[in-house]
Amino acid sequence: MNLDQITSVSGEFDKDLSSVIVLKELEELRIKYLSRNGIVSGLFEKLKDVPKEEKPAVGNKLNALRNYITENFNLAKIKLEEKGSAGKQSIDLTLPGTQRQIGSKHILTQTVDEIKSIFKGMGFSTFEGPELESDYYNFEALNFAPDHPARDMQDTFFISKDFLLRTHTSPVQVRVMKNYKPPIRAIMPGRVYRSEAVNARSYCMFHQVEGLVIDTDITFAELKGTLVFFAKQFYGNDLKYRFRASFFPFTEPSAEMDITCYICGGKGCKICKYTGWLEILGCGMVDPNVLINCGIDPEKYTGYAFGMGIERTAMLKYNVQDIRLFFENDFRFLKQF
Amino acid sequence: MKISLNWLKQYVNIDNIPLNEMLNKLTLSGLEIEDVNDESAKLNNIVVGFVKEKKKHPNADKLSLCVVSIGDEDFQVVCGAPNVEAGQKVIFAKIGAVIPHGNFTIAKAKIRGVESFGMLCSESELELSDDHSGIKILDPVLKEGTQVSEALGLNDVLLEIGITPNRPDALSHYGIARDISAIYNLELKYPAFNLIESNQQISKLARIEIEDTLNCPRYSSRVVIDVKIKESPFWLKESLRKIGLRPINNVVDVTNFVMHELGQPLHAFDLDRLAGKKIVVKSTEAESTFKTLDSKNRKLSPGTLMICDAEKPVAIAGVMGGENSEVSDKTQNILIESAYFNPSSIRKTSKYLGLGTDASYRFERGTDPHGTMLAANRAAQLIAELGEGKIAAGVIDVYPAKINDKKITLRIGRIEKILGYQVPEDQILQILQKLGIKVQSSNKSELQLSVPPFRPDLEREIDIIEEVARIYGYDNIPTVEKIYSTLAKKYDESAFIDELKSTAVSLGFYEMINNPLQSVTSASLMGNKIALLNPQSQDMAYLRTSLISGALEVVSRNIKHGERNLTLFEIGNVFNKNNSEAINSFNDFAEKTKLILVITGNQSEKEWNNPQIPFDFYSLKGLVNSFNSKFLLDNVLNDSYYFTQNRIFDYSFEKITGNDIIGFGGKVSQQVLKQFDINQDVFCFEYDLHSLQAVLPSGKRHYKDLLKFPKVLRDFAFIFDKSVTYSEVIEYISKTSSGLLKSVKIFDLFENESLGTNKKSMAFALEFYDNDKTLTEEEIDKEFNKLIVSVSNNFNAKLRGN
Repeated sequence: MNLDQITSVSGEFDKDLSSVIVLKELEELRIKYLSRNGIVSGLFEKLKDVPKEEKPAVGNKLNALRNYITENFNLAKIKLEEKGSAGKQSIDLTLPGTQRQIGSKHILTQTVDEIKSIFKGMGFSTFEGPELESDYYNFEALNFAPDHPARDMQDTFFISKDFLLRTHTSPVQVRVMKNYKPPIRAIMPGRVYRSEAVNARSYCMFHQVEGLVIDTDITFAELKGTLVFFAKQFYGNDLKYRFRASFFPFTEPSAEMDITCYICGGKGCKICKYTGWLEILGCGMVDPNVLINCGIDPEKYTGYAFGMGIERTAMLKYNVQDIRLFFENDFRFLKQF
Repeated sequence: MKISLNWLKQYVNIDNIPLNEMLNKLTLSGLEIEDVNDESAKLNNIVVGFVKEKKKHPNADKLSLCVVSIGDEDFQVVCGAPNVEAGQKVIFAKIGAVIPHGNFTIAKAKIRGVESFGMLCSESELELSDDHSGIKILDPVLKEGTQVSEALGLNDVLLEIGITPNRPDALSHYGIARDISAIYNLELKYPAFNLIESNQQISKLARIEIEDTLNCPRYSSRVVIDVKIKESPFWLKESLRKIGLRPINNVVDVTNFVMHELGQPLHAFDLDRLAGKKIVVKSTEAESTFKTLDSKNRKLSPGTLMICDAEKPVAIAGVMGGENSEVSDKTQNILIESAYFNPSSIRKTSKYLGLGTDASYRFERGTDPHGTMLAANRAAQLIAELGEGKIAAGVIDVYPAKINDKKITLRIGRIEKILGYQVPEDQILQILQKLGIKVQSSNKSELQLSVPPFRPDLEREIDIIEEVARIYGYDNIPTVEKIYSTLAKKYDESAFIDELKSTAVSLGFYEMINNPLQSVTSASLMGNKIALLNPQSQDMAYLRTSLISGALEVVSRNIKHGERNLTLFEIGNVFNKNNSEAINSFNDFAEKTKLILVITGNQSEKEWNNPQIPFDFYSLKGLVNSFNSKFLLDNVLNDSYYFTQNRIFDYSFEKITGNDIIGFGGKVSQQVLKQFDINQDVFCFEYDLHSLQAVLPSGKRHYKDLLKFPKVLRDFAFIFDKSVTYSEVIEYISKTSSGLLKSVKIFDLFENESLGTNKKSMAFALEFYDNDKTLTEEEIDKEFNKLIVSVSNNFNAKLRGN
């Protein structure tokens, strides 16, 4: 026996160990190398035949081999036991697990929730109101004169001469102003109806979130600040924005807020009708007539209001091309969000 | 509204302003540019040509062979037009030009063996008109080689501008020019015209009376005599074509031109067709019919403002003229109407007739009562010029009650109060002046303003502040950098619904949002439905009375798509009439918020380690109870069961407290499923959220001490008569037991012949504990044995395993 022979046993063990998969095979390996009749014992037997001057070196080498094999055997045993004492044959861990169904809120609700949470963070209250409204709350109190063409801006479903499906959530503003004293800082999410043709871009109902702030010293500059804050939270910090003059009977001055089209980055595309801008909301300073109608002194208090459509926002944000998908409630659609 | 940039340039000099910048500023100031159509690029390579020579084509009788010069170069051109002659200036399309009509490119061609290097064009080929009778002959003064787009003023940019309903003053080229003049501080000018009157006095030719002075405050008129009705000149036809109007004849075209120039709608009457040469403005007293110039009979309601002659109505005021007084080819004498009508009167008529015209659109928004005479004069001058007529001397201007400028006080400091920024005073003054608002007097803090009536939207100080802000530019008003809130009390009226939605989602439900507008069939499922007065379609003619029908429509659609296993919920409002048929107040109907849970198909599909489990009545009940549990309602609500079929359900249950029904649901009946074309079982439950919220335990949730002592579990099973229900047994056990028994659950139920006929076995797990001490075996045995005896005796039941 010489040192090379010992080295080759070590190599053989490494090879054998590498092919071990289950504990039973490892046990066979133990018997082969470490048992009383195993290879290592056999080598120790032969030590007596080694010439005297070589004995210390060969003895050391043999001890090292025994330690090496024992240690590696023990390590392998621990690893295999961790893997599962019974080994791979008795349980197929690759079989599929039992999944549970997690429900979800409608994507429009999720969009409203996101908007609500931003305004809640700015200290806004949330109010709701009826969908079947009177002409007074929907139009008259909001400074729509009875025979004014401004009424044509919102095609209305009527129930009777004086009752209708609200065309915007602004009647909730009137109710809030009549029921609470300034300071008022509130948003009003809700469903509204307009007699518009049903097609991929428009539907006979949709959802809005409106906001109302009334206090002493509320200004247009603050309206801009609040809405820019919102837009940055909702659409991203780097957006560009602009305020355009517009007209709503219940605000004066009135504006529409545009942001850079985030489909094309402002270069112009089909979505932004090649303007580079997307209109995201309408806003303005509450018209003094509205304040008076709601019992608030317009000399003492000023305020602003704003409103945005949820469907349009969600369509842009989630690339939904057909508004009708929101209301068909196809399970395959609902499960995507 | 369509605006031609070249036309606009007559009133304000914008040559030095980059187009895109100007359009952007107009948009920001409230005149939204919706579309821009640059026409100049369209006619590249089409130039003015001079026909030097014309010969017959050697091989074709009907073709000519021309030499066309464009100044520095001559071309041989084959032309088929009958009217081509040497010495004419013509439209010459060079090789490479694209002809608008048909969109084809001119190439070198060989026509009957002769080469042709271009084409001479008709008006129709350039889409200037439908005239294709021959090539267009140009004014001889035009220089050959000039681009035709430039020579004919076709190098125009056409704008589509969205005008908000408060801005009737902007419904004309002059009005748009006024805003531009204010934005850029430019001079607004109206071109002078020379009005030559004849000797004929207008007072001898026509008379005008206003009977309804409320609805017609002013009626101004000019008369033009000996007019030749003919085609308008090219410039006028072009002006109208660009803004989308079809040229008709010189008189009608002039009235349209002046309306789009100044915003004042005009009407031209054939004076000779007016009985008594007289105009009377009055409102109808009874229902009547009238034939408008589009040959349609219109039914008029009483109180419609009409223009009449001595005998009969001749026009619906402000809306449309009548066939009986229309200008025709034979017309010689014209009476021009330039009036101011009460906007709401015109709107009512236009709405009633369902007839909107360019005129009614302007009148119902409010025209300029001070501008009627200018428009009449302008039209008279143009008609006389283009129709070789004579303008009668003088005007008829009936103006019973003068409409004055509005007096408005602007407090300078109020601008900062509203805008948060003080626009410099010189800027304020400049903006007001350019908008036509006169400053009558001023002191340090206030301006006394005189606002002309062409701006009906300017009535108050706040309206003036808006004008200052929008012209100064919203973007020039600083945006505050800090947002503040208030310490006022906060409310959240949607918190409860938000929590309900989260709970439904946590139970695996998906939210639907259905259209509350339904067909008569869907809305008739239950309740007392409300109809729309003006539905869009029969599918959406009623308001939903419950959430069930909408949910069943969704189930039906999904099953058709192959989605058979559904867990859906919706929160939405439903609408029912109360007792009265008519809806005149909020007491005549009820709008209620409901929550519906719907399940159908399998709650779990067959898998390798689980069997398929279908949804059933008990799945629904379990989900409803999980819901109630989340809101701490376990011991608040009671169940009522209905084993017999009703309109909606085969069998059902209600959650009640006292006399109030909080919700109801069950297995949807086959009959209803058939109506919705559904071929599998559906279970649903609808909560009334107002009632639900009312029974929620009030106050805050408090922590309860955790149990420190062991629970002891015991089971028993009895054989009962089949008629004994689970709830009877449970209620009895709860009632009979002492406080030590904290919970009873059924864990096994079976029926078998071996139990005896009409018998069943129910096994219960009982849980005993005491919050304050460890229970001894004796205490529990005593309680347990007592229960066994009571249950046995009360239900004549036999304890099993004995």
